[in-house]
Amino acid sequence: MIRFQNASVTYPGGVHALRHVTLEIPAGQLMVIVGLSGAGKSTLIRAINGLVPLTDGDVIVDGVSVRSAKAGDLRRLRSKIGMIFQTFNLVKRTTVLNNVLMGRLHATGTARSLLGWYRPADVEIAMQALERVDIVEKAYVRAANLSGGQQQRVGIARALAQEPRFLLADEPVASLDPPTSHVVMRDLQRINRDLGITTIVNLHFLDLAKVYGERIIGLRAGELVYDGNAAHADEHVFRDIYGRSLTADDVLEAKPVV
Amino acid sequence: MTAAADARSRPAKPRPSLAVPLGIVSFLVITWLAVSREFGIGLDVGELIGNLTRIEGLLWRVSTDQADRGLLNPNWPFLPQTAEPMLETLQMAVIASAIGCGLALPIAFFVSRVTTPNAGVFNAGRSVLSVIRAIPDILYALIFIAALGVGPLPGILALIFFNVGVVVKLLSETVDGVDVGPIEAGRASGASRAQTVRWAVMPQVLPNYVAYSLYVFELNIRASTVLGIVGAGGIGRILYREYSLFHWSNLSVVIVEVFVFVILIEFVSIWLRRRLV
Repeated sequence: MIRFQNASVTYPGGVHALRHVTLEIPAGQLMVIVGLSGAGKSTLIRAINGLVPLTDGDVIVDGVSVRSAKAGDLRRLRSKIGMIFQTFNLVKRTTVLNNVLMGRLHATGTARSLLGWYRPADVEIAMQALERVDIVEKAYVRAANLSGGQQQRVGIARALAQEPRFLLADEPVASLDPPTSHVVMRDLQRINRDLGITTIVNLHFLDLAKVYGERIIGLRAGELVYDGNAAHADEHVFRDIYGRSLTADDVLEAKPVV
Repeated sequence: MTAAADARSRPAKPRPSLAVPLGIVSFLVITWLAVSREFGIGLDVGELIGNLTRIEGLLWRVSTDQADRGLLNPNWPFLPQTAEPMLETLQMAVIASAIGCGLALPIAFFVSRVTTPNAGVFNAGRSVLSVIRAIPDILYALIFIAALGVGPLPGILALIFFNVGVVVKLLSETVDGVDVGPIEAGRASGASRAQTVRWAVMPQVLPNYVAYSLYVFELNIRASTVLGIVGAGGIGRILYREYSLFHWSNLSVVIVEVFVFVILIEFVSIWLRRRLV
C-alpha cells in the first residue's frame, strides 16, 4: 500500500509541483493519473520512489517513510518499485538482455555486477521478464535497433526483472503511435492483473485512462482535484480536471487492436 | 492596428558589442609588440630569407660518408641500428598507455558532473587534474630522471601522467554529455552508484574510451621522440645523438620511421573505431 500524507513538493525555483496531497493506493490497484502537463503528474510518481524529494508531508510505501529513509533504505525500497519512462531510458548501445539485467542489479553484489557476472538465476528472471512482454527473441539485439514500441516493452521487462511489488509508469505511451500505445497499455494491465503488482500510470489521453484505469485521480496545479472510479469519470469530470473544454488533442481515438 | 504600432512593439536592435573590435585591435597590438625589435624577439624578414640558403645543405648535402649526407638522402643501412630503440619506444608506449588509460577510466567518472559522488570530490579531482595537465610531459621526464636516473622507466612514468591527464579530460567531458535517462532508470531500480555507472554510463562511452586510448598511444610514440632527448630512452635517444653529430641522412631514416609508425597506428585506430562505434 502507498499512502500520501499531506505530501508537498516545492522545487528550488519556487514552483509548487505538489500541494498537500493525501491519497491511499491499496495493493493491487491500477491507478491512472490525469492532468495537463505541469500539473504535477511526474512529480507525484517520482515522490513515491524518492527520485524527487518531498519538501513537506510524507509518502509511506509498504510501511516505509520515503522522506526519512536513509540512502541504503531508499535503495532497498526502490528495488521493490519498478519504473517505466516516457522516453524508455534504455542504454541504446548495449543488448536488450543487458538492459533488462539492470533490473537485477539491486540483487547482485558490487564485484559481480562490475564484471557482468550475473548469476544464472538472475539471467533466467530477465529472460522470463522478456517472455512476459513477448520480446524474448530480441534478447541479444542492440536496444538501438528496436522500434519505439519494442523499446518500451524492454523498459517494462527491465522493471519486471526487479520482481517489484509496485510499478510506476510515467507517460509510458506518450512517445508511441496509437496502436502501439494500446499494446503497451494492455501489457501493463495484464501485468497488474496476473502478478497483482500495484500499478500507477500517468496518462495524457483521457480515453486510454478510461479504458485501462481502475481508478482515476486528477491533478491540477499540484492539487488533487478528482479521485474516483474510472467508470464514473465522464467529460464533465475531465473538464473540471483540465480547467478548460476538451479538444481532439486530449484523446488518442484509435480503437484497441484485437 | 497600424504599422506604427507594430514597429513600437518590436524590440530595439541591441547595440553592437565593442568586444569584437577591441579584441581584434588588442590582438594586432600584442602581435606587433612580440615581433618588434624594441619589446619582442626582433623578427627580421630579410635575415629569415637569407638563412633559407642553409636549407640546401641540410637537404642535399653530398658526402662520401653515407651518414653525412642531406636529409633527402636517407641512409637506409642505418635502419637496423634503430630497431632496438624503436622497439623500446613501442614498449614504453604500450606499457604507459595500458597503465595510464586503466587508471583514467575510473578517475574520469569521479570528475564528471554527471557521475561524481559529490561536489567535493568533483572539485578536488578537477583541481588535481588541472595541475597534472599543466605540467608538460618533458618536465615530468626531467623530474623522474632526476629521481630515478636515465632510462626507459622515468619515460614510462612521465607518459603515464601525461596519458592520465589527457584521457581523464576527454573521457569526463564525454561522460558529461551522455543520455541521463538510463542513469535515472538505474537509480529508480535501486542500483548503487557504481552499478549505475557500470551499466548505464559505461556502455555509452566505451567506444569513445577506446578511441581516446588509441589516440594517446599515438601521442606516446610522438612524445617519446622528445623524451629521448632528455634521457628517457627510446627512439628519441638515437634521434638526438644523430642530430648532435649532424648526421642528417641517419636522422632522416629515424624521421621516416617515426612517421610510418604514427601513420600505421592512425590507420589501425580508425579501423578499430569504425568497428566499435
